[in-house]
Amino acid sequence: MDHGRSIPKAQTLDSNVIVKAEKVNKSFGRLHVLHDISLEVRKNEVVVIIGPSGSGKSTLLRCINHLEKIDSGHIYVNGHMIGYYEKHGKLYEDSERNIARQRAEIGMVFQRFNLFPHLTVLENIIEAPINVRKTPREQAIAEAERLLARVGLSDKRDNYPSQLSGGQQQRVAIARALAMKPSLMLFDEPTSALDPEMIGEVLDVMKELAREITMIVVSHEMGFARAAANRILFMDEGRIIEETTPEELYTNPKEERTKAFLSKILH
Amino acid sequence: MYHFDWQIFWQYLWPPTAFQNPLIRNGLIATIVMSVIAQAVGVILGLFAALAKMSKFAPLRSIADAYIWYFRGTPLLVQMALLYFGFGVTHIYDFPDLHLGVTTITGAIQAAVAALAINEGAYMAEIVRAGIESIDPGQMEAAKSLGMTFGLAMRRIILPQATKVIIPPLGNEFNNMMKTTSLAVTVGATELWFGFTQVNAGVFKPFELFIVASLYYLALTTIWAVIQSRIEASLGERKAIEKSPSWLSRLFAAR
Repeated sequence: MDHGRSIPKAQTLDSNVIVKAEKVNKSFGRLHVLHDISLEVRKNEVVVIIGPSGSGKSTLLRCINHLEKIDSGHIYVNGHMIGYYEKHGKLYEDSERNIARQRAEIGMVFQRFNLFPHLTVLENIIEAPINVRKTPREQAIAEAERLLARVGLSDKRDNYPSQLSGGQQQRVAIARALAMKPSLMLFDEPTSALDPEMIGEVLDVMKELAREITMIVVSHEMGFARAAANRILFMDEGRIIEETTPEELYTNPKEERTKAFLSKILH
Repeated sequence: MYHFDWQIFWQYLWPPTAFQNPLIRNGLIATIVMSVIAQAVGVILGLFAALAKMSKFAPLRSIADAYIWYFRGTPLLVQMALLYFGFGVTHIYDFPDLHLGVTTITGAIQAAVAALAINEGAYMAEIVRAGIESIDPGQMEAAKSLGMTFGLAMRRIILPQATKVIIPPLGNEFNNMMKTTSLAVTVGATELWFGFTQVNAGVFKPFELFIVASLYYLALTTIWAVIQSRIEASLGERKAIEKSPSWLSRLFAAR
């Protein structure tokens, strides 16, 4: 852990910056997975991160809500440093309670859905609003029903996750994350575990969502990127190699590594 | 040629006549109550030991490790004697009798239950830990990403799922517990086995009486096997999980 550094400059409180990462480094043992990553995501922006496996894109996402600890650098969400606080010029890991509070503002959707199998669809969605946000049960249910309607799964409200298809499970997972009314949504390869015929239904929900909420999406779905992304980051070996718009990326990738990667995923 | 005393045999096997002897009646009650309390406390101790073992805080982990190491690595019989006689003679704790209205819980029973529970906790710790670790780590991550603290996620998400994994071995532990309470005779606890040894001391019919004693324990564990398979069946009801073994197959299963 290397947090004995000087205090960073006071943050310019630009309320339009939802995520700000500064020189983030992260290693798993001797493997340096994130290398001086800096990144800014503005309100209502949709940023898609692509890159070969092992390039650090999922790790970066997981650092943003402190599911992974960072070794150095800073990550701010909504102007607040994530996971750490500063005292006398040093960074200390924040209390569990504060970290939990920060995570409540950040929705996350996982590759393998991670729905709670012992709870029904409705219970999955209202669990956190009731127990974390202390939302009254009736209100949480009403809200959950609205969200279920929105992802097109009203009729599945009393089913268990195991009774749903992968695509349906992922849509429930999106609704579950949205129930906390997050200001930022992180998607970690949300369609990679799905059968091809189910990818569309999940991407449709995401495209709809992209109009109104800030999103960072790790995905190779170029169709989605083209339709919804404001920016695309290409990562390789723990670095952001290229940052561009979807159109640029298609027509005019600058870096050799980007070109090589694109030629593999675009057939 | 040994003359088998059927009269004594039936007198003590047939509950209405056997229970006329308070040694047997109260002994049976004591055995059941001791088993239930020791098991319940053991589960709670096991849960805390399991959580301590998974803690980020190293001293807590060491304490849990030492606890499990010691109590699984030494004989329960010795632990029980140490607790009752050792604590008594040093006045660390004298185990005074506890008068509860109509009944008195003797110090020996208290010490026996305490030793059984503490010993059981060490075994339950491993069972609970295995149950918790059997849950996909993605569940904890999902719970955390929704803003849950570790404790809330454990309580609401992880433990309810781990319970299904924990219940079958827990049932087996309880089966064991009912039989193991007979060790309490060594500190003078007046449970079922104590009752039979006392009756035997008067009539000296160890063959007849101890067969009957074994059948009492067999009845307890058999009734429990039926209850256990019911519990497991109801756990599996909501979501079809692997069919749990019937109580019959459980009785005859090699362990």
